[in-house]
Amino acid sequence: MSIQYKSIKDLNNMLLSKEISHKELITETFALIESKKNLNAFITLNKDAAIEKAVLLDRKKNESMLAGIPIAQKDLFCTKDLRTTCGSNMLSTFIPPYSATVISNLENAGCISVGKTNMDEFAMGSSNETSFYGNVENPWGVNLVPGGSSGGSASAVASGIVPAATGTDTGGSIRQPASLCGITGLKPTYGRISRWGMIAFASSLDQAGPMARTAEDCGILLNEMCSHDIKDTTSLNEHIPDFTKNINQPIKGMKIGIVKEFDLSKLDNEVVKVFEESKKYYESLGAEFIEISLPNISLSVPTYYVVAPAECSSNLSRFDGVKFGKRCEDPKNLEDLYIRTRSEGFGDEVKRRILIGSYVLSAGFYDAYYKKAQQVRRLIKNDFDEAFLKVDVLMSPTTRGAAFEAGSKGSDPIQMYLEDLFTIPANLAGLPALSIPNGFVDSKPIGLQLIGNFLEESKLLQFAHSFQQITDFHLKTPSGENI
Amino acid sequence: MDKKTVTTIAYLSRIALDEDNEDKITTDLENIIKFVDQLDNANVDGVEPLTNPLEKKAQTREDKVTAENRKETFLDRAPKSNEDYFLVPRVVE
Repeated sequence: MSIQYKSIKDLNNMLLSKEISHKELITETFALIESKKNLNAFITLNKDAAIEKAVLLDRKKNESMLAGIPIAQKDLFCTKDLRTTCGSNMLSTFIPPYSATVISNLENAGCISVGKTNMDEFAMGSSNETSFYGNVENPWGVNLVPGGSSGGSASAVASGIVPAATGTDTGGSIRQPASLCGITGLKPTYGRISRWGMIAFASSLDQAGPMARTAEDCGILLNEMCSHDIKDTTSLNEHIPDFTKNINQPIKGMKIGIVKEFDLSKLDNEVVKVFEESKKYYESLGAEFIEISLPNISLSVPTYYVVAPAECSSNLSRFDGVKFGKRCEDPKNLEDLYIRTRSEGFGDEVKRRILIGSYVLSAGFYDAYYKKAQQVRRLIKNDFDEAFLKVDVLMSPTTRGAAFEAGSKGSDPIQMYLEDLFTIPANLAGLPALSIPNGFVDSKPIGLQLIGNFLEESKLLQFAHSFQQITDFHLKTPSGENI
Repeated sequence: MDKKTVTTIAYLSRIALDEDNEDKITTDLENIIKFVDQLDNANVDGVEPLTNPLEKKAQTREDKVTAENRKETFLDRAPKSNEDYFLVPRVVE
């Protein structure tokens, strides 16, 4: 029996009923990876260790629903003794001596890490085209990008290789690829999941999260991914609920905000049509719609492109060729070692963002850019605080359109930056947000974004699960059949 | 943003720019800076900067060694090292 496109719950049932052994499940997963090699979704595989763990699981009784479930890990999480590249030449030889907290949490719950997924270099990109390891294909069409930066994770889930994958989201890197690949992806509240062992891009924005076919599977994973971690000073010390407990509760009478300033008239008609249809589904579930004004939200993308590069330029200064990662050949002196290592190790987009960061942080420009961006960031957060006094969630399209062809955004970086127009605000405010498949444009999937209030992932999953009970967009597969 | 500024920030970032590409990079950076100049439209008088969405004080812990010494592992995985140190080109003659 095929394991392709199966959910975590399905696979768990197959394992419990002995329809399949742990070893067979993992062996089958690697056969799927091999047959879908053309997607270039993985950078490094973990085959021997994965099969070894499966064999051990076959020998004992397992209580956890995640025991033996194959998971693809974004190559941004450090994995002990398994190469971690972050999509960069800089880390092409990096073998971490430890695992990220979130990886340990999942593996301790029984998950089997089958490999490390391709991604935009250091998570900087929205199409997976900046990876040193080549583009990732979106399984929904030849030469279509999967989105980014968690493009390999999205492609691996959408093609049914694995039921779920990890991603990270700094400005939309979970939600945008989820939208473009027709899967469900959740960025939790900033601080919910430990950032320890996640290779840092922009520390005040970065957050890990689950990517899966259904909202329910995202909740199952999130339950294990979250923990209070003293090794991350921004890790939240808050109660961690069972995120799946309330997903079957009706949303009748709950309020959804539609953001007035998100100007949908500039989007493709088909995208707007799909969005309007989604509103009708929610109406049929008994939700009420309220127009909400977030007056400063139009400044989100410019704010982000000051804050994120500034933090990136500081974080990426650690890559100097001394303690780990790549080092240039035959450096003449220490400065030559730094400059050549960094010039050879980083790709164009990463360099561009480091330069912007150094510029906005430099003396004379700090107040005009960095400080100002942080002030606007507060205004944006205040707008959200106000909005959540009136509504339960905010709703918008996740992306401006469906997946585009590789190379089609041209050489103007700003065109690519605008891909994250709808997703960036949640990162600036630290709020949880998710994307669920809500329709098709030109036979390509697109997603619906829901943004929740601080720590309200459960409510978001409840809204997403309700939608998935009356629609089947999340069950469509690139190969044509419904699951 | 002119070529001279770009050269300076490239040096501050310890990145050497490809000469053939310098014009393109200068234009890109200029456009990005123009794009973020939209922030001038916001009235931020008296607004406290938000550096982190949690706005919590960094947590502290007791000053106690919690990690085991894994010097050998770290040195082993470095690009160049001997039994005690990471090695770099000679700094003092």
